[in-house]
Amino acid sequence: MATNPFKITLLISILSIAIALTLIWGTAQTAPNLIRYSTLSNDPYIKVESINVTANGVYIRLAIINNGALAFTPTGGWVEVVETGQVVNVTIINGTVIAKLPLTPQWMGLASVGVKGIVSGTLNGSRAYIAFFDVAPIHIINTIGITNVSYADCVLNVTLSVNTVVPVVIRPIINMSLFTVSTPGYYVFETIGIVNITVYAPAGSHNVTLMIRVSPVLGRYTYVYSCNYLSGFSKYTLWLPIGVTYMYPTGNITSYTLLTKTFIVGGGS
Amino acid sequence: MRVEALLQFALAIAFIVLWVFMPAWSISGANYSISLTPWGYVVRFFGETHVIPPPTVYAIWLFALDAGLLPLIWRRSRYSLYLAALFSVLSLSMLMDTILFQQRYLQFHGYTIAPTPTGYIYVLLSTKPVLGLPTYILLALTILSIFNMATRARWLGTRVIEDPIIAIERVLKVLHIEYSRIEHGVEVESIKIVRQGGSLWLVRGGEAIEVDLKTAIAETVKVGLKQPVSVGVVDYGED
Repeated sequence: MATNPFKITLLISILSIAIALTLIWGTAQTAPNLIRYSTLSNDPYIKVESINVTANGVYIRLAIINNGALAFTPTGGWVEVVETGQVVNVTIINGTVIAKLPLTPQWMGLASVGVKGIVSGTLNGSRAYIAFFDVAPIHIINTIGITNVSYADCVLNVTLSVNTVVPVVIRPIINMSLFTVSTPGYYVFETIGIVNITVYAPAGSHNVTLMIRVSPVLGRYTYVYSCNYLSGFSKYTLWLPIGVTYMYPTGNITSYTLLTKTFIVGGGS
Repeated sequence: MRVEALLQFALAIAFIVLWVFMPAWSISGANYSISLTPWGYVVRFFGETHVIPPPTVYAIWLFALDAGLLPLIWRRSRYSLYLAALFSVLSLSMLMDTILFQQRYLQFHGYTIAPTPTGYIYVLLSTKPVLGLPTYILLALTILSIFNMATRARWLGTRVIEDPIIAIERVLKVLHIEYSRIEHGVEVESIKIVRQGGSLWLVRGGEAIEVDLKTAIAETVKVGLKQPVSVGVVDYGED
């Protein structure tokens, strides 16, 4: 029997179309088993690293925890403090995410706050957002330091820079002394005991000047060796142990702190 | 063998070979991408790589290979070209179906969301679909095979030079002349046609003369026609 090309063609055509249709049907049937589901693992997240309450404002530092090969680079975002309702945008300083909020009276009564927000950035080059909520304790930072000292005619002028979140009362001064920085050292004056002087500073950043007349009037054990700087010495140290009472809404807290300042008078050493 | 059919074969081979090296269809993105390779969809997701093989992907290149090979293997009938055109269309439709598979089951738009210890991370996976070069070659193959079908692969007019011995054999086969293959040639009754290098030699008795293809065919047919007519007598005589 002679082969009929038409018959062969028809046969192969029907066969191959049948194969094609079967494959299409089979693919649709097996598709749910063929595909896989993947999710990100070891993805970066945000934790609140610290909340520092200072006289200049509240600083919330956010830490980006990259625990894996995926590196997140922050570019912006915002935070909301749940307890105070404050919402601010974050700033990125050298890869550190910091939010600065104005200090409000509510912060004084809080021990910890909940912080929520979104930090936007890139994850391996893809745009990404990290939404977070974290509770962190508050650190209240009050600083008092000596910025300037002068001593002349038995009068000591001390300028204090006071950065506190609550009003403070500075009282008293205990065992202050001024001496040369030399070997051996010489006292200019020293007091043993309490000098009752009261200075009030409101909350915030302020400079407060103490003017103390150093004389035996201050107390029984006050030794004044000189009413001026000693000749031949230009480098001095002031020891100023003080008591500071912080007037929190929840009650007053008094702490004692030693302020020191080493300074150079005139030129040379 | 015709140049048109060879061209069709070349396109089919080019499609398959090129496809091994570059995807026929892809969705490119920084952290998420899909490439259609001859062995399935290669899906990359943040450093992970998965291969998803939909069965239709194998049919694409098998049909394309058939579309290229068939006109070379089966040269007697024009139905070969019809079948090759069908194969190329089937190959293209398998490719379309495989792309539809991606659209239906592997489609992803927008953000991927994953939980973190303190919340969620949203990652935007922007993607761009790209049709690769192999797909265009397959398209060209389909168009060429349909064109070849319509013109019976005769639109170029030139013929590929093939082995002259095979050309002689084809003529002898059509005329149902019995011959036997010898080394570098054919033997019909008392004469031999032998190919040596680029020239043909007609060996009759002890003498050999150089002949061209036309003369060689004419001589073998002349001798062959003296054979007893065997059409319809010899079983399984036809190839």
